Amino acid sequence: MTAPTITPYRSELPPARDGFPQLLHAEWTKLRTVRRWSLTLLAGVVITVLVSLLSAFSGSSSVSGDRSAPPVGPHGGVVSDSFPFVHQPLSGDGSITARVSPLTGREGRAPEPWAKAGLVIKESTKAGSPYAAVMITPGHGVRLQSDFTHDTAGGTVDRDRPHWLRLTRSGDEFTAYESADGSTWAKAGTTRVAGLPETVQAGLFVATPEETMVQRQFGSTSVGGRPARVTAAFAHVTVDGGQGAWPQDTVGGGVGGGLKGTPDSATEKSGTWTLTGSGDVAPYTPDVDIAQQSLAGAQIGLIPLVALGVLFITAEYRRGMILTTLTASPRRGRVLVAKAVVLAGVTFVAGLVGATLSFLLSEPELRDRMPNPLFHPDVALTDAPVLRAVVGTAVLLAAVAVLALALGAILRNTAVAVTLMVVALVLPLVLLSGLPLDAAQWVMRLTPLAGFAVQRTLPDYEHVDAVCMPENGCYPQGPWEGLSVLCAWAVVLLGVAVWRLRRRDA
Amino acid sequence: MQATIEIQELRKQFGQTVAVDGLSFTVRPGQVTGFVGPNGAGKSTTMRMLLGLDAPDSGQALIGGRRYATLRRPLTEVGALLDAAAVHPSRRGRDHLLWLAHSHGFPASRVDELLERVGLASAGRRRAGNYSLGMRQRLGIAAALLGDPPVLVLDEPVNGLDPEGIRWIRGFLRGLAREGRAVLVSSHLMSELEDSADHLVVVGRGRLIADTSVAELLAAASGERVSLRTSARTDAMRLLAREGATVAADGPQSLTVSGLATERIVELLTTGGVPFSEIGAHRATLEEAYMELTRDAAEFRTVEAGADTAPGAEAATATANEAEGTRS
Repeated sequence: MTAPTITPYRSELPPARDGFPQLLHAEWTKLRTVRRWSLTLLAGVVITVLVSLLSAFSGSSSVSGDRSAPPVGPHGGVVSDSFPFVHQPLSGDGSITARVSPLTGREGRAPEPWAKAGLVIKESTKAGSPYAAVMITPGHGVRLQSDFTHDTAGGTVDRDRPHWLRLTRSGDEFTAYESADGSTWAKAGTTRVAGLPETVQAGLFVATPEETMVQRQFGSTSVGGRPARVTAAFAHVTVDGGQGAWPQDTVGGGVGGGLKGTPDSATEKSGTWTLTGSGDVAPYTPDVDIAQQSLAGAQIGLIPLVALGVLFITAEYRRGMILTTLTASPRRGRVLVAKAVVLAGVTFVAGLVGATLSFLLSEPELRDRMPNPLFHPDVALTDAPVLRAVVGTAVLLAAVAVLALALGAILRNTAVAVTLMVVALVLPLVLLSGLPLDAAQWVMRLTPLAGFAVQRTLPDYEHVDAVCMPENGCYPQGPWEGLSVLCAWAVVLLGVAVWRLRRRDA
Repeated sequence: MQATIEIQELRKQFGQTVAVDGLSFTVRPGQVTGFVGPNGAGKSTTMRMLLGLDAPDSGQALIGGRRYATLRRPLTEVGALLDAAAVHPSRRGRDHLLWLAHSHGFPASRVDELLERVGLASAGRRRAGNYSLGMRQRLGIAAALLGDPPVLVLDEPVNGLDPEGIRWIRGFLRGLAREGRAVLVSSHLMSELEDSADHLVVVGRGRLIADTSVAELLAAASGERVSLRTSARTDAMRLLAREGATVAADGPQSLTVSGLATERIVELLTTGGVPFSEIGAHRATLEEAYMELTRDAAEFRTVEAGADTAPGAEAATATANEAEGTRS
């Protein structure tokens, strides 16, 4: 029937290569050869920077504020260090012991959970100087704290009965002991305080964080604070190695001058000291995270990147080009993964440029507009938390783009996928203040929005109660934890997309 | 690898509709095989299954004995053109080929070589959205040839082309087959394949209607009929019918006669004094042959069987070729 002399065709081309790098190269070529997509990417960068700048320059600037320098702790950060201090010099090693009564609040109020009464050994009476202290707290038992940022938990405390505390210095090492009865002692913990001189001040202190009042309603949240005041009594005070006299000082000046009731004071009556104080001994955490705010533009800048991510796959379905793609590479999972890798790389770079420019251009202005800029850390791009926030923002944008790609691959429809992504990422931000705090925090924890936690640069201290309002950019989880949630979303959705692509007819 | 396409008992159903229903055929190297059937006959679905885009419900479609999904460098094994419009309109023609080339590690020079070959060298730097349909078909063919494959699968490549484009593509396909490649070309119009296909696979409603060479099909469709041109149509009809022939008039001066050999007709007309200007074996066009094939489902089997076994097939072909000389 057919001529038997046919020789099947043999190509003389050099052999082809079919590795994953070739697939990446192909997807990269696809991405860069549609000019509209390059412009979309650029729009992502420009919008990120512009929105960041806009929010930095639109805030009211207050120039009337008090611009005196706040105390700075040994770690270099701003601290609260204000308390009545009854003390005596202690040379070399030694210890201080006292029986501390339960704390009482001002005019019969309950004391704050992190109010403190206890023993402190401190370099000097200068605010911000190094120290170690053991204390009882109404809400968190016995604590051993040092240099503002270090905190170790001890035992529990009976709320109605006095508790014995002891703090011992041995060189740079401080050991805390506690006892319910003054005879059976337990070790509460040890800590090191570097750079203390031979002679230090050992004494008694009370301190309390501010009372905070939170009003949340749809569209507005106000967080107010006012100084609190606590009182505690110290009996059987002994300083082993001390020098007898008990000078009284107020470290850092009082903060409760305007409060009614017993003023800040320290009085002694038949060997028992009663201290009333209103300041706190803790690291200071500003309620505004300036570096985080300087990156705010990413919340809007992600929209073009979402569109790009979706279009990178849906454009192929719309034109039928997916057929060419899948015939060129029948191993479909690899195609989608190659797309994701290329898209992630490109959006990461765009995000990095956008975030870096946003930070560099907005941060100085934001800080300058704060009531007292000195209370906000003067951060540079190379500081670890800032670097984490900036690089994290780039990772966040890349993950969002991959998420969009995955959704586009699953839905195969540009409009639906883009809408869904924008609704998922922007709508919660708008609605957060309308949700109960618990619900809002769960939204922040579980939705892809959690990724924005990576923009947070201020440290969270376990021993400082911060008012954490999602609508104010406070996330209930750590930066990496939040970013991992977003990345998990992207990976899982991409997995679903791969699974669907492999199962369904093209 | 043998450069063949093997379709074996292929079946695919979409919902209640059976798109491909137990289809089997083989495409051999060195010839253009036309894949013909009306729209909706299952041609595209068969091609999509062949290219691993859709999964068959049963049966298999193999290229060189392997399923498409298992091919490592598919562009070097099969070149496919499914939909010429399937290019991103903002991407330049050359860039469309470039990403494909990169997926197999081919250099950009290979792309330029192909643009030259399909006559798009100057248009390569224009956006594909501004291409005419003909240019897109050329671009699609360049994409199919990128890996210099021994097998080509083209879905309706002639569709919508202007006459110049049709001529170009026919010559191009024949050239590819001459190089020893297996070329499968689908069309819903038999006439489009008239001058390019060597072999035909005809499908209807997902089933095979005919798997035959073009020559055999034409011979079978022509049958033992004789075309006659005469000015005395009525006399001729009467005379021939009396001798037992079936006579049909297809024009004011032309008749188609069956049931009598050409020699006998000439003898009868001459002795009967009926004038005639032209006589020859009836030569069916592919279109007629196709119409005959697809007239109704009952006939499918007989033709299918007859295509291989009809004893008169070779003779009819010979007569047809001779008759060609006598036609004006």
